[in-house]
Amino acid sequence: MENLMSVSHLTKSFKENKVLNEICFEVHTGEVLCILGPNGAGKTTTINILTAALGSDSGEIKFKGKPINSQLRAYKQALGIVPQDVALYDELSAERNLSFFASLYGLHGSDLKKAVDEALVFAGLSDRRHDKVKTFSGGMKRRLNIACAIAHKPELVIMDEPTVGIDPQSRNYILESIKKLRDNGMTVIYTTHYMEEVEVISSRIIIMDHGAIIAEGTKESLKEDIQNDKRYIIEVEENGSISHDDFFAIEGVKAAKIEGSTIEITSLKGIENLDRIIALLSNRGEKIRNITSENASLEMVFLKLTGRKLRD
Amino acid sequence: MDMINLFKNPVLVGYNTLFAALLILIMGFLTGGNYADIKNSYQYYTVTLLVYGMLNGAMTASNCFMERDIKRPNLRIIYSPAGSFPIYFSKILSSFVFDYVLHLLLLAVLCPLLNVTLGIQPIFFILLMAPIEFAAAALGTFFCCIFHCEETTSTLLSLTISVLCVLGGTFFSFDGMGKTLAFISKLSPVKWLNDAFFALSCDNSLALYWPVFIGASVVSALLVLGCHIFFRTEDYL
Repeated sequence: MENLMSVSHLTKSFKENKVLNEICFEVHTGEVLCILGPNGAGKTTTINILTAALGSDSGEIKFKGKPINSQLRAYKQALGIVPQDVALYDELSAERNLSFFASLYGLHGSDLKKAVDEALVFAGLSDRRHDKVKTFSGGMKRRLNIACAIAHKPELVIMDEPTVGIDPQSRNYILESIKKLRDNGMTVIYTTHYMEEVEVISSRIIIMDHGAIIAEGTKESLKEDIQNDKRYIIEVEENGSISHDDFFAIEGVKAAKIEGSTIEITSLKGIENLDRIIALLSNRGEKIRNITSENASLEMVFLKLTGRKLRD
Repeated sequence: MDMINLFKNPVLVGYNTLFAALLILIMGFLTGGNYADIKNSYQYYTVTLLVYGMLNGAMTASNCFMERDIKRPNLRIIYSPAGSFPIYFSKILSSFVFDYVLHLLLLAVLCPLLNVTLGIQPIFFILLMAPIEFAAAALGTFFCCIFHCEETTSTLLSLTISVLCVLGGTFFSFDGMGKTLAFISKLSPVKWLNDAFFALSCDNSLALYWPVFIGASVVSALLVLGCHIFFRTEDYL
């Protein structure tokens, strides 16, 4: 795939606090690059620097082989940004919002009208085009928020957690829309802390934590290391007698973690050891309330890399 | 949008119309005995408190600059090739129009009601208001660009404008209080503004008209330039 953007050695500090540390990655044409990480990982700061709204302390961003600072206007023209918060004028209609924001990119006349009509269809808001945004539901606002970013047909769309705080139906609509954008040849950078979304839409994934990239690859390659792992999550009534070391005596157990009444055990896939785990708990007098199991997931990848859950 | 937002703010509309009118009426009525005729007292306070109101347009601009409902969508302007100029300039422009329109309305009501004159050719009076209103709006926006905080900006502006207005004779003239106080009063630019409007309205004199007009225009241009230099997108994020 052709290289659209390259980010090298990006560093940013706010006073004493280093929020980005030597970030390097590439964005390929036509892909959906997901940046996954917990709150405070540095995703939004990265996005703000990519959009040229924030300067970095060091490092360089190249778009189509040229530094963005040497072609700032052309670079901004090629971008479509979906900010984390809904960025719409509540007092204006959906159509007026789209029209105003698209005009900032030089569209006017029949081109502008066509772009607005297409964006309204994309957002599924054609029948509400004349209604003021303040009358819209949260999901509708989110959809219009995305439509405002793509009306001028950018080459690269940058989305900063566009599905925060919306209903599942609107979330699905947005995820489907992103797939449509990808199918139409747009490149998308998408930040989120919902790994389920990453599983659905990503071409490639960057995992960030504490301002650094800790892993990068396709979801298949990231899961490779833990392909043979299986995780059990066991909830007991009241854990008092058992420690994580007790589980290592059982064949296949690779890791065990106890937090209050929740026990998480990572085991080799293919070894049937659940009966022995249950037996151990029963022998110690633990009453089991619930058991769930899961196969290799991005959550497990993150857990393995950082020792904690994505949404801890 | 900035303009709609301002006109939908009842506090700002009330402050620039009802509150200003009430202040002029009360001050004019209470100090009527100090002047040869109560008409003179209304004339004095309509002019000086109008200048006070115009300078307080800086507070309108600072309020407009930090308005959250506008700030978020304005981020899209920062992201676009249009850059940041439309952001701060739209604040200045909308605050200017808002204050100018309301102050003209105030004059339209008060002048016939209190028998206040704007001179033989009121158009000069009205035109002189424009660069002062604009400079005040630019001052408020400039302070916001420097301090990035509405509270700090409002406190500093309010303090500065009040001190300059008291010294400039907004509430009582320093002219008859000895040479030293009269000299200190002349140091305040508000004194020059008041004198220019008095010369126009009472003496039909243009003696101070052009110096004040050009002075306010130059200050406006410098403040817009200052906004351009000090506006940093990262403080707006």
